[in-house]
Amino acid sequence: MWSGILLGLAVYTLFGLVPAVANTVVSFTNYALYPGAPVNFTGWSNYTSMFTSERPGFMQALVATVVFVSAVTIAQNVLALSVAHRLVGDSRWNGLLRVLVFLPIVLGVTIVGLVWILFFEPGQGPAASMWGLFGAKSAFFGSDTLAMPLVIGVQVWQNIGFSALVFLGGLNAISPEIYQAAEIDGVTRWRRLSRITFPLLAPAVTVNVLLAVVGSFTTYNLIYVLTAGQHGTMTLGMLSFTAAFTDSDLGYGAALGTVLFLMTLLVALPLMMFLRRREVRLLT
Amino acid sequence: MTATSIRPASRPASTQTKRGATLRRRQRFWARLVTGLLIAVVFLGPVLYVAMIAFETPSHFLRSPMTPPTSADLSNFSQAWTGADLAHELINTAIYSVVASGLSTLLALLIAFPLARRLVRGHRPLYTLLVIGLFLPLAYIPLFIESRMLDLYNNMPGYIILHVGFGPNLPLGVVLLYAFILAVPAELDESAWLDGTGYLTYLFRVIVPLTRSALLISFLYGMLQVWNDIIGPVVLLAGTSANLFPVTRGIYNFYGLNESAYTIFAAAVAIASLPLVVLFAGTQRQLIRAATAGSVKG
Repeated sequence: MWSGILLGLAVYTLFGLVPAVANTVVSFTNYALYPGAPVNFTGWSNYTSMFTSERPGFMQALVATVVFVSAVTIAQNVLALSVAHRLVGDSRWNGLLRVLVFLPIVLGVTIVGLVWILFFEPGQGPAASMWGLFGAKSAFFGSDTLAMPLVIGVQVWQNIGFSALVFLGGLNAISPEIYQAAEIDGVTRWRRLSRITFPLLAPAVTVNVLLAVVGSFTTYNLIYVLTAGQHGTMTLGMLSFTAAFTDSDLGYGAALGTVLFLMTLLVALPLMMFLRRREVRLLT
Repeated sequence: MTATSIRPASRPASTQTKRGATLRRRQRFWARLVTGLLIAVVFLGPVLYVAMIAFETPSHFLRSPMTPPTSADLSNFSQAWTGADLAHELINTAIYSVVASGLSTLLALLIAFPLARRLVRGHRPLYTLLVIGLFLPLAYIPLFIESRMLDLYNNMPGYIILHVGFGPNLPLGVVLLYAFILAVPAELDESAWLDGTGYLTYLFRVIVPLTRSALLISFLYGMLQVWNDIIGPVVLLAGTSANLFPVTRGIYNFYGLNESAYTIFAAAVAIASLPLVVLFAGTQRQLIRAATAGSVKG
């Protein structure tokens, strides 16, 4: 019995817990990507240099992260809720639509990213021909103005299915008897939405908002595939990866990772408390 | 919104309101049709476009990419198949994802059962320790350093072991199985202990069949996670003579090398999607049910 537990715990500790903690340790060193380079403790220099011109890009990344996280969180939840509202009910067509909105999650970020790269191919792609109807031209993912909105859009497209299904679970959990009672009382459609559906959906809102915030703060795999952080899409996560594995400065990359982790906690924990309190307020 | 509404008995339904109800029902039908089609187009359109141009000859694509190809041209597929080394990479991916996810599901079961049954001291803090894993940041930088120190960098067993312990798969499996095992009556254990059934025999003969659906979900989500990983293969694998890349990094590199050969590249993307589409076709019911149940469990 213990051998089974210990085996699992050993793997989990070694490759799950240790890296998460060791990241902070690495952030105080000048660890380089290539083996053999001397490793020294450098104190806070990886942190203080973020704000100097020696390593430009931190402030831009901070702004890009805030834009990315807020836009993705709002768009993903609003759209997912609309999709979920449409998918209530067990008709055959709804079953098919559920499969379709879930498809991007199964296909994964690489295939999704490459599909959209082909769609927004600046020469021959369908988006270019639509743009052409208005006499406009764009490099899309290679454009400084459009790259960020497009990356946000693809991120939302990729994750909407999961959020929509979580909302759908919440909507299905609302007992039909409550709606029937409301109907007998002659409650209008709008009041039914604002007084019954919305409050009872509060737990699903909590789950979805937190997943979207934490997810868009920390993941950069889609950005890596679409733009690799070029054209104004360099979020903090992407910058940390680039610093470490392109500029071969693991220490600085780890410092950026630690800052990102603290920022995520700083936003997610108060948000979680707010949303939990909101649930209590709406459900009582 | 149901069509039959209950009205006070004193006011009989006139033909006026009946006609109004029919009109509303018809409007509702069209609204649902349009929104349904919109969802279908938004989610299927880009995928179908890629599938279509994969069959176009390069000259047809340059002339009129948006019109369907006149004859199904398979040369893109054969060029992508050999050019991107897809057979090799798909086999790599299948090995990585099946073995890594199988192992993490097995380890999750070996942890979840004794913790759920409180068979070991400290089951509570141990469970908390695993739940923490769901929220840990993906620290690729120390993982990369570790993988080089432990000789797990750029080799197949190393890549698999790292994926067993890294990421949310193992903790997610534990949390999921823990909840399911709690639903299995403990009397079953007691009668088995009395019969002298061994621990592992009992686990695999009784618990595994009873928690089949949770094991399947844990395995499937874990498998998708490993299958679709792109940062992992960039950080933990290097290009060497023996191609260790999974198909995600394979097609991503193929794109970088063939940036203008869009039809061949589209064929590579289509081939790489096919196993996932087949897998999804077979398991969509379970995957979607699990996601829908997610909010209720919290």
